[in-house]
Amino acid sequence: MTATQARRRVRIGVLSTEHMHAASYIRLLAKMPGVELIGVWDADPEHAGAAAKLAGTRALPTPEDLLSMVDGVVITSTNVDHRELTERAAAAGADVLCDKPLAITVADAKAIVEACDRAGVRLMTAFPMRFSPVIRSLESSVRSGSLGSVVCLEGVNSSRMPNNLAPWFVDPARSGGGALMDHVVHLADLYRWILRDEVVEVYAVANRILHERFDRVETGGLVMLRFAGGVFATIDCSWSKPRSYPTWGGLSIDAIGTAGVIRADAFRQRLAVYGGPGAGVAWPSWGPDEDQGTLDEFVAAVSQRRPPAVSGVDGLRAVEIVAAAYRSIETGAPVKLAT
Amino acid sequence: MTITRPGAPDRPSGTGLRVGLVGAGFIGGTHLAAWRSEGIDVVVFDVDPARSSLLADAFGVSVAPTLEALLVATDVVDICTPTHLHASVAIAATRAGRHVICEKPLARTLADGEAMLAAARQAGVRLLVGQVVRFYPEFAAARQAVVAGAIGDPAVLRLTRANSRPQQAADHWFFNHARSGGIILDLMIHDLDFARWVAGEVVSVACRSAAFEHPGAGVDHAVAILTHASGAISHVSASWAYAPQTSRTAFEIAGSRGLIEQDSDRTAGVERSLQDVGASGRATSLADGALGGDPFRLELAEFARAIEANVEPRTDGADALETLRLALAADQSARSAGQTIRLEAGAGS
Repeated sequence: MTATQARRRVRIGVLSTEHMHAASYIRLLAKMPGVELIGVWDADPEHAGAAAKLAGTRALPTPEDLLSMVDGVVITSTNVDHRELTERAAAAGADVLCDKPLAITVADAKAIVEACDRAGVRLMTAFPMRFSPVIRSLESSVRSGSLGSVVCLEGVNSSRMPNNLAPWFVDPARSGGGALMDHVVHLADLYRWILRDEVVEVYAVANRILHERFDRVETGGLVMLRFAGGVFATIDCSWSKPRSYPTWGGLSIDAIGTAGVIRADAFRQRLAVYGGPGAGVAWPSWGPDEDQGTLDEFVAAVSQRRPPAVSGVDGLRAVEIVAAAYRSIETGAPVKLAT
Repeated sequence: MTITRPGAPDRPSGTGLRVGLVGAGFIGGTHLAAWRSEGIDVVVFDVDPARSSLLADAFGVSVAPTLEALLVATDVVDICTPTHLHASVAIAATRAGRHVICEKPLARTLADGEAMLAAARQAGVRLLVGQVVRFYPEFAAARQAVVAGAIGDPAVLRLTRANSRPQQAADHWFFNHARSGGIILDLMIHDLDFARWVAGEVVSVACRSAAFEHPGAGVDHAVAILTHASGAISHVSASWAYAPQTSRTAFEIAGSRGLIEQDSDRTAGVERSLQDVGASGRATSLADGALGGDPFRLELAEFARAIEANVEPRTDGADALETLRLALAADQSARSAGQTIRLEAGAGS
């Protein structure tokens, strides 16, 4: 490869491997022809080393060591660390793809957006479901009017409790919360995108009964949203799948319109495999990989010096909805959001 | 764990229970078929004599010319009238000393429902309400699994009832909120009742309905979020927005130790895909999901045993009053843009 060709490739690094999404992103980045995977940093050098080795890249001792060599960075840390790492990336002039939720408070999410604006770097929130062909098909049906006008969206984003993959998910100081913090942002963002509208009211309930009454964070939650244009929408964000469930969980949307109903199940395309490793049945996916679409969009935005299709403000809006959901749980009543 | 099915009804006991069916519409026909399958004698009355004759003739049973004549000739009155007329018929029946079986919902208003219960108590007769979902085998089996501890304590319930719009004309009482209570009192009430049966009494409800949020849209779909006294939460969705001939139910009950899933799309014993759509449609009917026994027949047989043999049924009028209270609270929430409505703790009658 000539030096010119190498320079054309977008130089990407990964900050933190604490989120399990890191493994998927690193594996995909290493295979992308337009990407030069510069390296991986993690607060735990052993984790960084192991992740780097898997992808044939190197581990860097500090974030700045990595940031000085990249065009853009993927942040897959604990939720609470998103702000500090994004601010350091912005200060170093690196574009940012930050995992969801963008932050655990509205103030942190605003600070992240402002830091990137001030530094003039691109900020993309990682909402991979925007790149799911299943969800994109639903979105285009809604946009084309084949559903008539939409009156209601019902979504389910439920899963196992993810603490076996990363224990910090159930440590509120690092995750910011439980099932609501983990899952509401995905569907909230998809609804905003599908409807091209903003949420004006949020109602939510939650409990701590699932998983033998695990009580450090909420494990069950239901949310009802109202959009400015009148559509109402619900989200089941519960960690309601037991460990023995054949897959991690899923995400689906039922869109109810004046011309009928469309159901989109983003993870229905899977096999049922019996007798594999472990007991019982497994449901490995043969469907599309939405993480690849997310990375493609980020790399294209960095390379073409254009805004990414999913913005930092999209991440901020989703965090505002989550914060309103927690306020609603406290008050037991719907909470209004300023538009 | 073994899930035992609710037993098929015993053959009629032969005590000669005489049933007076009031209301010869759609649900009246369903009840009449179930009664006849049980070999029980039925007399039919409807304010429209032509309609009562049509139905009675189809099943070879006799017609009563008036409600009074029906009351004289029967032991039990089975009320299948439009919802807003349940109370007046029920109270007349109890005053005549007749037991009452009533199609759901118990009544159009809480005051009517309470008056019906008071009248039955005063007369010393049974008042039983057909919350038929408790007799659908998949719902009964799921409830039994929960009671047996299969999934620990219920935590998050998701109940879905996805239907096409009923075929009645636009001016039918069914679509008149003042008479039927709309989609919440007529359709969602099935799953509101099931949610109570599985996860216990409800302390608050928030509900939104397309009928109130989008009154001009001509589509009906409602969603309620319940909080139970136990701490469990429920998502209840009821729809008349689906394509013609759709009739799907699905539920998920997540508990402290496990999860139950059921979807009628995946469990119909028979699926029909017929070239002649006019014959009986493309779709699987609800009955195809319950081939082990017609739920209406199971329900009415259990009610008949309650009346004849004093065997306690799985649900009664007092129970149905609590379900009605919940449905009315959901309707009130839907009419007030999703405001949270609190139900009085332990508001038993």
